[in-house]
Amino acid sequence: MDAPSLALRSPALARPAQQQARPQVLVAPETVHPTLWRAHQLGRSRAEALATGFPELDAELPGGGWPRRTLTELLLPHAGLGELRLLAPALREVMHGGRVVMLFDPPAALCAPGLMQLGLDVQQLMVVQGRAGLRGAARELLPNADVLWALEQALRSGHVGAVLAWLPVRLRADVLRRLQLAAQSHDGPVFLLRELAAQSRPSAAPLRLALQPGGIDRLTLRVLKRRGPAQLQPLQLALPPVLHQPTAVRAQPPAEASPLAVEAAPPAPRPSLHGAPHFQPG
Amino acid sequence: MLWIAVHLPQLSLESFAATLDEARRGEAIALLQEHRIAAVNAAAARAGIKPGHKRATALALAPALVLGEADAYRDAQALQAAAHAALAFTPSVNLQAAEHTLLLEVQASLRYFGGLKTLLQRLHQDLAPLGHAVQCASAPTALGAALLARWHPGFEIGAHTTDLKLLAQRLNGVPVWLLGPGREHWEALQGMGLHDLSDLRSLPRSGVARRFGPGLLQDLDRAYGLQPDPCDWITLPPVFDSRLELFARADTTEQVLHGAAVLLQRLVAWANGQHARVGRFVLRMHHEPRHRDGGQPLHTTLEIALAEASSDADHLRLLLRERLAHMPLSAPTLELSLHCSQVSRGAPPNGELFPTPRSEREGLLRLVERLQARLGREQVQQLRWKPDHRPECSTVLQPAEVRPNAVSVSPAPAGCGHLSRPVWLLPEPQPLAERHFKPVLDGEPLQLLGGPERIETGWWDGAVAQRDYFIAATGEGALLWVYRDRLPPLEGEAAAWYLHGGFG
Repeated sequence: MDAPSLALRSPALARPAQQQARPQVLVAPETVHPTLWRAHQLGRSRAEALATGFPELDAELPGGGWPRRTLTELLLPHAGLGELRLLAPALREVMHGGRVVMLFDPPAALCAPGLMQLGLDVQQLMVVQGRAGLRGAARELLPNADVLWALEQALRSGHVGAVLAWLPVRLRADVLRRLQLAAQSHDGPVFLLRELAAQSRPSAAPLRLALQPGGIDRLTLRVLKRRGPAQLQPLQLALPPVLHQPTAVRAQPPAEASPLAVEAAPPAPRPSLHGAPHFQPG
Repeated sequence: MLWIAVHLPQLSLESFAATLDEARRGEAIALLQEHRIAAVNAAAARAGIKPGHKRATALALAPALVLGEADAYRDAQALQAAAHAALAFTPSVNLQAAEHTLLLEVQASLRYFGGLKTLLQRLHQDLAPLGHAVQCASAPTALGAALLARWHPGFEIGAHTTDLKLLAQRLNGVPVWLLGPGREHWEALQGMGLHDLSDLRSLPRSGVARRFGPGLLQDLDRAYGLQPDPCDWITLPPVFDSRLELFARADTTEQVLHGAAVLLQRLVAWANGQHARVGRFVLRMHHEPRHRDGGQPLHTTLEIALAEASSDADHLRLLLRERLAHMPLSAPTLELSLHCSQVSRGAPPNGELFPTPRSEREGLLRLVERLQARLGREQVQQLRWKPDHRPECSTVLQPAEVRPNAVSVSPAPAGCGHLSRPVWLLPEPQPLAERHFKPVLDGEPLQLLGGPERIETGWWDGAVAQRDYFIAATGEGALLWVYRDRLPPLEGEAAAWYLHGGFG
């Protein structure tokens, strides 16, 4: 979307003589059309966003939550750093409406009791696995055509509540563009989970976030791309705790008391990830 | 009585074109019968080919002409499909195979379908997927309707009348050769200057009967409603079985699918004829028997069972396409046959204007069916929780099934205060090294934060688990689930620490 440049090219700016004639356009261009916003404002979308369950994150996202009908990319160094705890409130909301959540090619087996403790209804989860064949290192790198096809079908059908897809780093830009087009008929959030190495690659997703572990039960979130101004500093989120409070306090060494300083430079993704067959915890 | 006659003027040509692949359907096509051209399509007619030409003449006019032999059996099958489609409107359908005409007695159906005009529109809609050109007419007598339908080539919804007198006026203009038994006397009738039915009727009846036999007079009287006209009604076969011999052998599944689409349309017509939906069908591909010594099978069978019975030809075709796309053809296919014996009867579920939970379920069902058709049934799974303390036994993955009637949604379980179980599980526990009584992952010692939680169960089914679980943190703060065997390792065994999962 090049809406900011659209605002710049509006006739009122190009011809200053007309400024008096239509001053309201200059005063608040964002009131003219939902796809217009000023560079320092967060964009809005016509489709109502889905609250993330974390008010501080809602404040950072255009529309005030996870967007519907568009792709949302979450880049994370490896699975298992709290991404499902981050998404669980939104998924819970989707399931509460009686809709199904589909997971495409999850990186490891799912454990039903753990999901139930997150408040998810396991009967409303569907898992789509690509055909066996691409396993091992190739699976991490190359997209599985079956999974991409299934993902596109699911998005196009519009009968799925939310979609989580674990996609590889090497994905052609036109694949993402296709998915973004297909997502327009999908009334719900679409989360594409990819490795952190994908952040330098172009993407059609209007919202991209980088996730880093920020200590125990904490997650550091950087907004890489959004309809709005660049994020000034990474966001620290407190996830629903796994540990009881006293244990958590004991676990925090005094040096890590201010994790913001630690997170100034994100660590590079670990090259050993590609060797792992399914799931590589940190 | 009100009769609708449906005449398919191009039936032979269209039933032949159905055996061709897509690229050839647009080309010039002609049918041969006894070494003479019997029918031509529009492209062939443009090239100057006319019925009655010899084969060599036709090929000289259009060297790329696709020539096929007329086949009465093929025509009969196509006509039968149209008759099945017509059965959805009235139980009284009569088939006149020689004239390629269907006769429907619709007096009793008029009120239900909302009048003749709506009925005709619906009939056209239902016949359209079969891909035939249609001429139709309605009249108070069966033969009268048939004559009118066959007379006028131009109009699609033809002359309609419910009045006998009006019918008689119209029939007076019908050329004599359209009457069946008059056909062999056509030259004689023409020689006598008799062109239409009014000419024939003005002759003395006794003379006509003596010259042309009583059959001609009988037909004339039946057409004008002066004599009763008993008809045989067709009955629907309880099992659907249709064959399609392909013109050229099909080497790719795409070509097979193209022919199969024709059969699917007939299947849907058969199902609609009895207000039923297809639950399961079998496509059989008959192969070219050239690899006889190689032990190649002579046919391949593809069975498709639907989660929910459907009479939507597009949906059936999509399912077939996904299944065919992943099936290598063992040998070129010459002939296709489609068989169906399992249908579900009863009123189809209501369509929904606005999305409702029910329509959403149905859409989801179709989506899952399509995904399973392409990826395999085992690749689209649903989770089920089983009350077992062993984490590897507590989750059961089974092929996804959407129950279309389960509209009510169970309330989501409320999340309890803290999380004690991981979300991700390793397929096999990964052994960890031990250093200073602490497990080590990738050379980094893990920090044990919670636990131990003992799980000691499963002595009854052979997979005994005696483990002490801990929640451990890596250096960057990701939480893992590790366990230690309760019993110390025996001599020569690997370390007692295992990584089992991670908190997502």
